[in-house]
Amino acid sequence: MRTSSHVLVAYLVLLVVASVWRLLPLVPHAAAPDVGGLVAAYLGLTARGRIAPAVAGAVMVGYLADLLGGAPTGLHAVVGGLVCILGHLVHRRILVRGLTMTLAFSAFVGAAAAIAVVLISELADRGLALGSTGRSILQIALGTGAIGPTVFWLHRRVDAAFARTHRERDAALEGITS
Amino acid sequence: MTFRRRLVDWSLAGLLILVPAMVLRSSLKTGNHTVLDDAILRVSAPLESAVSWLVEGVGGIWSRYVGLVGVESENRELRADNERLRKELAAAQRRAVDTDALADLLELKRRSPADAIAARVIAASTTPQFRTIRIRIDRGQGEVAAGMPVITSAGLVGKILDAYGDHADVMLINDPDSKVNVVIPSAGRGGTLIGEGADNGYHGKIELERPLDASGKGVVREGDLVVTSGAGGAFPAGIVVGTVASVTVKSYRMVQEIEVEPAVDLGALRAVMVLLAAPPAPDPDAEHKRKSEPAFGTRPL
Repeated sequence: MRTSSHVLVAYLVLLVVASVWRLLPLVPHAAAPDVGGLVAAYLGLTARGRIAPAVAGAVMVGYLADLLGGAPTGLHAVVGGLVCILGHLVHRRILVRGLTMTLAFSAFVGAAAAIAVVLISELADRGLALGSTGRSILQIALGTGAIGPTVFWLHRRVDAAFARTHRERDAALEGITS
Repeated sequence: MTFRRRLVDWSLAGLLILVPAMVLRSSLKTGNHTVLDDAILRVSAPLESAVSWLVEGVGGIWSRYVGLVGVESENRELRADNERLRKELAAAQRRAVDTDALADLLELKRRSPADAIAARVIAASTTPQFRTIRIRIDRGQGEVAAGMPVITSAGLVGKILDAYGDHADVMLINDPDSKVNVVIPSAGRGGTLIGEGADNGYHGKIELERPLDASGKGVVREGDLVVTSGAGGAFPAGIVVGTVASVTVKSYRMVQEIEVEPAVDLGALRAVMVLLAAPPAPDPDAEHKRKSEPAFGTRPL
């Protein structure tokens, strides 16, 4: 139920980003932030006991990102699953709290997810220019960093709604995962 | 958690990544949407339209009305008039942009003998490696199918990738997977235009054999018009694709690289036209055919 709610919230954010990003007065056709990767990282960070439900959620969000973003089905789903596992592996070592840390972590996730997408695209023989790929990764990292605090805030509210005690609720809102 | 449960958990996680990897492999090969994909897109596309419409409306009001409230004059009556007129102007400008795009399409439809239907752009790809747009087809939904050319009054936009209900995805000509058979009429040379997918431009590239004779015949120059050749049957012949932006000749290669600037501004598309069927080919014997004599009236001597 918790994971489904995260997927639903991510779907709504993806809808808004897919529709609105092209209308923003940015660089023409600027690469959009990687919402799928961001939510996958959040699910990985907040997966407590078992990782499989979080990976399932991350894969689902990635699949929706593929459909709404016009990418081949499965591309962001694979990347989402990998980012989720990466988030779970580091969740005891870093604490994503406060605006600066959330911005930096989101930008890192955006860059990591973008690099993974590029590597998979290369395996699929997309033949991209290195210069433009570098710019895209930078744009995705900056965009993901910019929307990271909002996305984390939304998902923390979802976790707070599922908290069983006041203590759990406060911890979820603060971004304390374990 | 016991070791066994942990092992099961991680195995399940691995399996959950393996499944989309196999789906990705299949979708890269075929490029088609499954029934589930279509179902989700049928639900999402109207929502995207609604969000797009809402944001365009709010953005229009914000940029043309709310943002200008700060410059209000001291005269209260004049300010009220000013605000009312600006509101009306904002609405009119928003309508004018849409009307311009639609008028262009109407003119194109009037000029072209091809069977075509109009569509509005509702979303663009968020992944830089895949250049696609999503369109909403107002009428004749069942007639649009994958592979159909998409144009504007300025030229070629791309082709339909997949159609579902009253929405469709369009692969733009600058997508790295896009291949368009083109010809440069001024040079009499033809080739295949391949999209570059660059994030800061919409270029495509053609590689042609270098002309061997020194007469200058067949030489491609910057500014030359590039149109579809009609070869392969994917696109009707004669649709404007763009102009030659640069020609690079390397001494160690037998080909010249030609960069093409698309005629259509692919970053600012609002309305497009889907060609359902190519125009009928002109009759080559039309001039020589004997006209039938009139059944009534006087015959010319």
